[in-house]
Amino acid sequence: MMLFVIPIISQLETVMRHVLNWFHGTLHLPWAWSIVATTVVVRVLLVPLTVRQIHSMQNLQRFAPQMKEIQKKYKADKQKQNEELMKFYRENNINPAASCLPMLFQIPVFISLYYALRHFHAPKGSDVSFLHFIPSISAHTTTHWGGYILLVVYVLSQMASTLYMSATADKTQRMLFMLMPLVFVFVIARFPAGLVLYWVTTNLWTVGQGLITRRLMPKTPPPDLFKRSSRTPPKDDAGGGNGAKPSTPEQPKAAPSKASGQPRRVRRKKGAARRR
Amino acid sequence: MYRLGVGLVWLYRVTWGALFPTTCKYHPSCSQYAIDALREKGLVRGSALAGWRLLRCNPWSRGGFDPVR
Repeated sequence: MMLFVIPIISQLETVMRHVLNWFHGTLHLPWAWSIVATTVVVRVLLVPLTVRQIHSMQNLQRFAPQMKEIQKKYKADKQKQNEELMKFYRENNINPAASCLPMLFQIPVFISLYYALRHFHAPKGSDVSFLHFIPSISAHTTTHWGGYILLVVYVLSQMASTLYMSATADKTQRMLFMLMPLVFVFVIARFPAGLVLYWVTTNLWTVGQGLITRRLMPKTPPPDLFKRSSRTPPKDDAGGGNGAKPSTPEQPKAAPSKASGQPRRVRRKKGAARRR
Repeated sequence: MYRLGVGLVWLYRVTWGALFPTTCKYHPSCSQYAIDALREKGLVRGSALAGWRLLRCNPWSRGGFDPVR
């Protein structure tokens, strides 16, 4: 197993080293800012994947009454509650949860940066500090007081990005997610400062992206989308179909009258938006 | 033999999964699906199913209730 993994990691490390060298050598960025630039490039590549997610989360608010109803109905059985919520999402073409693929994409980036920093040897005299308070990006974060500041920023940025990215209906789960960085800060303290820098940058990007898309994206799509909405929805993926039964008549009834007409309308709009 | 795969999924869960807590758009989540698939179909077919599920778990899919069949 390890024999299979090691060459991949060393390849990734080489790629990352080339990227950092390019930013440092060609664009004359200091090493620390090369890491920031790499992070930004990765996140820019991921933008098409994450923007959809945020939009989907925004739409969720319309369905809050119905979702509360489901949560109340299956309060005792968490498993059943989850299944019913998933069915409800599918019926109304919303999905607040993130997809796993974009998140997995960051794993190789992270691992390669970790190894690249561990074996990092800057040429003599080159600046490996960050904003004068982190003396070296390849040293453990806690070797200097500046690292502690970076860790505090990490915890705060992680909490803020959790607020934006993992909109779960379950309050306990959300609370748990929020507290996670407080536990992990002890692990991260042993990582090279540059890696924490990557983390902080990616978190801040998440927050910024969340703020911007929330502001820019209209909550109701433009009216021309309605024209295309009469098409039948695209064929579902392989996992589709099962479990998604047609909506039961009680669900709209259970919701307040104001919201009861919404699911149909929004379904069309979302269906159209999906094919953009 | 499938336990090797389940072990790897758990390794992911306690490291990356815990660091970047996101809620999967499917139910069961991708990692739980992988564990179920490995248990029911064995290492090779289970891994293939889990890989296919991960590919499906992209922003263009609808998500939802999708157990191992």
